[in-house]
Amino acid sequence: MSAPDYMQCAEDHQTLLVVVQSIGVIKNENFFKIYNRVSSVCQVNPMNTQRLLFIRYRHQYPVENNEWGDFQTHRKVVGLISIAECGSARDLPPTILKFEQQKEAYSSTLYDSRLFVFGFQGEMADQSRIDVASYPSYDDCAAVDKRVEDFIQSLFIVLESKRLDRTSEKSGEKIPLLYVPYEKKDFVGLDPDSRHYKKRCQGRMRKHVGDLCLQAGMLQDALVHYHMAVELLRAVNDFVWLGAALEGLCSASVIHHYPGGTGGKAGTQRRQSVTLSADSFKRHRPGAQEVLIDPGALSTNGINMDASTEIGRAKNCLSPDDIIEKYKEAISCYGKSKAAGVIELEACVKAVRVLAIQKRSMEASEFLQNVVYINLRQLSEEEKIQRYSVLSELYELIGFRRKSSFFKRVAAMQCVAPSIVEPGWKACYKLLLETLPGYSLSLDPKDFSKGTHKGWAAVQMRLLHELVYASRRMGNPALAVRHLSFLLQTMLDFLSDQEKKDVAQSLESYTSKCPGTMDPITLPEGLILPPVPFTKLPIVRSVKLLDLPVILRPQKVKNLLGQKLSTKSPFIYSPIIAHNRSEEKNKKIDFQWVQGDVCEVQLMVYNPMPFELRVETMGLLTSGVEFEYLPAALSLPAESGLYPVTLVGVPRTTGQITVNGYHTSVFGVYSDCLLDNLPGLKNNGCTVDVIPALPRLQISTSLPRSAHALQPSSGDEVSTHVSVQLYNGETQKVIIKLENIGTEPLEKLEVTSKTVNTKEKFYGDFLSWELEETLAQFPLKPGNTAILTVYIKVKLDFSCQENLLQDLSDDGISVSGLQISSPFRHVSKPRVESKPINQSDSKSSDFNHVKSLEGILNFKYSGGPGHVEGYYRNLSLGLHVDVEPSVFFTRVSTLPATSTRQCHLLFDVFNSTEHELTINAKDNQDLILHAGECQRMAIQVDKFNFESISDSSSERQSFPNLKEIEEERQHSKGLEINSKLGIRWKIPSLKREGEASVEGVLNQLVLEHLQLAPLQWDVSVDGKPCDCDVIADCKVGDPIHLEVRLTNCSKNAVGPFALTVIPYQDYQNGVHNHELQDIVTFVGSNTFYIGTVQPMDHSVCFGALLFLYTGDFYLDIKFQDDNSNRELPLSWFCLPSVHIRAIDTLSETKF
Amino acid sequence: MAVCVAVIAKENYPLYIRSTPTENQLKFHYTVHTSLDVVDEKISAMGKAVMDQRELYLGLLYPTEDYKVYGYVTNSKVKFVMVVDSSNTSLRDNEIRSMFRKLHNSYTDVMCNPFYNPGDPIQSRAFDNTVTSMMVPAC
Repeated sequence: MSAPDYMQCAEDHQTLLVVVQSIGVIKNENFFKIYNRVSSVCQVNPMNTQRLLFIRYRHQYPVENNEWGDFQTHRKVVGLISIAECGSARDLPPTILKFEQQKEAYSSTLYDSRLFVFGFQGEMADQSRIDVASYPSYDDCAAVDKRVEDFIQSLFIVLESKRLDRTSEKSGEKIPLLYVPYEKKDFVGLDPDSRHYKKRCQGRMRKHVGDLCLQAGMLQDALVHYHMAVELLRAVNDFVWLGAALEGLCSASVIHHYPGGTGGKAGTQRRQSVTLSADSFKRHRPGAQEVLIDPGALSTNGINMDASTEIGRAKNCLSPDDIIEKYKEAISCYGKSKAAGVIELEACVKAVRVLAIQKRSMEASEFLQNVVYINLRQLSEEEKIQRYSVLSELYELIGFRRKSSFFKRVAAMQCVAPSIVEPGWKACYKLLLETLPGYSLSLDPKDFSKGTHKGWAAVQMRLLHELVYASRRMGNPALAVRHLSFLLQTMLDFLSDQEKKDVAQSLESYTSKCPGTMDPITLPEGLILPPVPFTKLPIVRSVKLLDLPVILRPQKVKNLLGQKLSTKSPFIYSPIIAHNRSEEKNKKIDFQWVQGDVCEVQLMVYNPMPFELRVETMGLLTSGVEFEYLPAALSLPAESGLYPVTLVGVPRTTGQITVNGYHTSVFGVYSDCLLDNLPGLKNNGCTVDVIPALPRLQISTSLPRSAHALQPSSGDEVSTHVSVQLYNGETQKVIIKLENIGTEPLEKLEVTSKTVNTKEKFYGDFLSWELEETLAQFPLKPGNTAILTVYIKVKLDFSCQENLLQDLSDDGISVSGLQISSPFRHVSKPRVESKPINQSDSKSSDFNHVKSLEGILNFKYSGGPGHVEGYYRNLSLGLHVDVEPSVFFTRVSTLPATSTRQCHLLFDVFNSTEHELTINAKDNQDLILHAGECQRMAIQVDKFNFESISDSSSERQSFPNLKEIEEERQHSKGLEINSKLGIRWKIPSLKREGEASVEGVLNQLVLEHLQLAPLQWDVSVDGKPCDCDVIADCKVGDPIHLEVRLTNCSKNAVGPFALTVIPYQDYQNGVHNHELQDIVTFVGSNTFYIGTVQPMDHSVCFGALLFLYTGDFYLDIKFQDDNSNRELPLSWFCLPSVHIRAIDTLSETKF
Repeated sequence: MAVCVAVIAKENYPLYIRSTPTENQLKFHYTVHTSLDVVDEKISAMGKAVMDQRELYLGLLYPTEDYKVYGYVTNSKVKFVMVVDSSNTSLRDNEIRSMFRKLHNSYTDVMCNPFYNPGDPIQSRAFDNTVTSMMVPAC
């Protein structure tokens, strides 16, 4: 007895063993067709009795096992069915001969046998042989079932006879000793007549009868016999047989308690038939009682048979707990003999099956543990595999899935043990796959993506390595790649650096033969291996969709201003909105991509490997819009920090695009990583709108490009910078070439400008252009160019403030509003006055200070389908102008002209350039200034009536405060003065010219001087208006009329005033003679009184003078200061001086 | 003394496992892993018993040829498994029991660390020292 049958279960004890064998060569397929047909007849109701006969079929059975048939009768081959193929009658005799030989092998135990011949045409030659049947073909064998049943019936007859024979044997004659093969030599020399020997024979026979009863379907009888056998054998310490008796007892009890069976396989089938015969069982009970020798029940309950059977059954049958106890005892009995190892092992297996049904896993595991320790003789590799597989199955049965997996794995390893000539890698792989659940390992990487990996990493890794190796040896590299990818992806945290290197290397070598794909692999066993995307190689920490560069960024025409805000909340600002959760979930980004333009997505990646990671063909996975991605290849240094990677692509259609993930190829494995499956990913939106295509504008200018970028405070981002150097006051023409480098026609263009750096005081328009000419060339086809001309005019402050103030303060002439100088000293033509520039040396640094101006030209353009949707693009050109000073007005002052309506403006002009410079005012001749020279320049100007200008401007705009009104007023005044003056400079050597603006130079004081007084005084002598240089002639002795007219142009009523006329003579040497009482006399009063003059009204005073002598006289009309709280400025009362020349009438008559 | 000490989380994954460095580590991983079957079985059997006054010590889980595996389960279903050399016959049940109690105390200390996240692998030096003291042969 060497080969254990691991499939045995307790109820096998009640079966009859029939071996089905083939004679000659029969196709496996055909043989098993018949075998299955035969084995379907596994329960028979023999002889129409109520008993049930169970048959166990085997297609091979070791003869040495058969030798244990006396020990346990279910091991005995009682029937033989041979299947042969025979074409002709000629072949029949040899077949029958072979059949006889086969019978010979089991002859000692065989009850009966049959031969089924297939393919035999015609009549059987020898009709006398009932044990031979023939069938024309394998398919046409409906009668086989019947034949087999008949055969079973015949077996039953033999069995029943044997049983009855054995039962009656105990009447007194000598009982033969039953023994198992190995015991044979032990009995040599034993006294067969001893009481001990007899008892042993009795006990063994009793046990044998029990077996037969059990097989014959008489459970109760069997139980009784077994009980008796146990008693007998225990007394003689026949341990192995005692074990067998105990096991028989257990088996019978199990059959009684668990009619469903413990084997599991044929359970359902069996149960059905058992329930069917349940009542018939009962009815037959009296029949069974006939042969029942129940020492307990017979005496007490002879009459009530039914009750006695119930009691007997309850008494004889073991309780479930007892079954296990008895099994334990049986096994320990078997354990006492080494030769009974197989029996012990099988008993353990049977016990485990029973315990599994009882759900007593702990005890079952103890039995199994025992199985592990039962040392049989050297097992072949195949047997080892079988043994481990069965152990695994049994552990599975009792719910010990880890143990089960452990043994399965051992079995798998056994399949490919080095001692095996042809390793069964396929079987190994299959077994390994079955161990996965036990190690809580699923091959779906999704199960590992949630949080940190929790499991038996060391054990799982080992298993994965084995899977990889097995699949490789199986010749399935795709599978190996998949498993290895899985190992790398899920166990990355547990791999040591060296292991990481090794795994990566082997993965690369595998993928060189078979690249890893994203397709699920279906195994023949039906298991589907999902793809393994390498989300950890590299690890992506954040995904950010990038906006287009500023110059390409589309902007929406804002016709629905503020609509966005109003829909969200009634509040202008609320902190709750700022952290709105739903907003985040929306994941929509508030910028747009443009169809046809290159769009970028930035990933922050991280290489967890201890070596350089090469990622090939990295691209984006998108949905919603046709997107053409440009694959990127990157190489990440070992254990790099966060590393930015920009993936680019071009949307080909419009709509909403969603970035779902990315695509990589690492170590030859292609993976599609979806962002949703990435743990710990920072992601602020993956959906963006793609708007229709827009044209692209490129600008180039005639000016050199500038490296100087605008200060960041400017806010707008500027794509191109150009710079130019200009002298203050110069105007530069710039030609801007606009080229459409996109694919859409450029239809619309708007140009705006903005001055950025406004620290400097600035006058006039900085940038001006003519757009009409350019627009005439529109729409601009792709590739075409248009031209825009822009004028840059720089007009900074020409003054230097600090000097000016200083100089003015010590200049008595200009400050004084009073007329003190002689009119003859004022020249009407520009007067050149050389001035030493001793102080300008020290301040030359100030003068040479280069100022810079910055401006932005904005081009808003649109066209193509994007224009229809209301989008435009913005392109900015930054202008940087370095302004070098040209001329400065270091000092400005006024001199009253002879006329009160006129005035002289004096400028001290300083040439701060290094070149000779000419300067001229309107209609005046050029003034040449050498480098660093300062000269005075005088210009006679009419006084201005500023009221009208300031009035109109203040009416137009309502300024919020007085100061601004004042500023505006001053500005407009300056503008007017400047335009009237028209001062221009020219550098002949450089051929550059420009204007010099006086706007910033004029201060309040000068302006006041330049302003016409609101009170206009007209003095006429003899009806002739007498102003500045006009000399009124009069005759001595004749009274001359003097008329003083006051016109009030101011807004308020003025007066009353008193005026006194004082004549005097100027000796031209600084001496004024006021003592003229004898020379000039007044007709009437020399003092006038002017009453209140209403605005826009005038008042006239008349008087007369009488000159008594000839001479040049001046009349000083003095304002009599009689009003102490006078608030009107003095300059309002500058009356013209009157020059009268009195001529002798005689001399005239003389001529 | 112990040749391998393991702490296993409620969800049956290892929080801590340490074995004598001279031996094959993987072997102990397998041993402890398979012992969990028995632990599970014992716990489920215990569930039927009285819930309070539960015995935390599970006793011998199973013996192998070379080792004996003992188990202990806390009220929060954290398991301690100790593998002991079976040649060491001097070790009594009571000693094993006290070793487990010591281990439990040390584990409690680990849990008290506010910087320790329950469910993370244990990386405490104090706990390490406790385990080391159990693994060196008691003199």
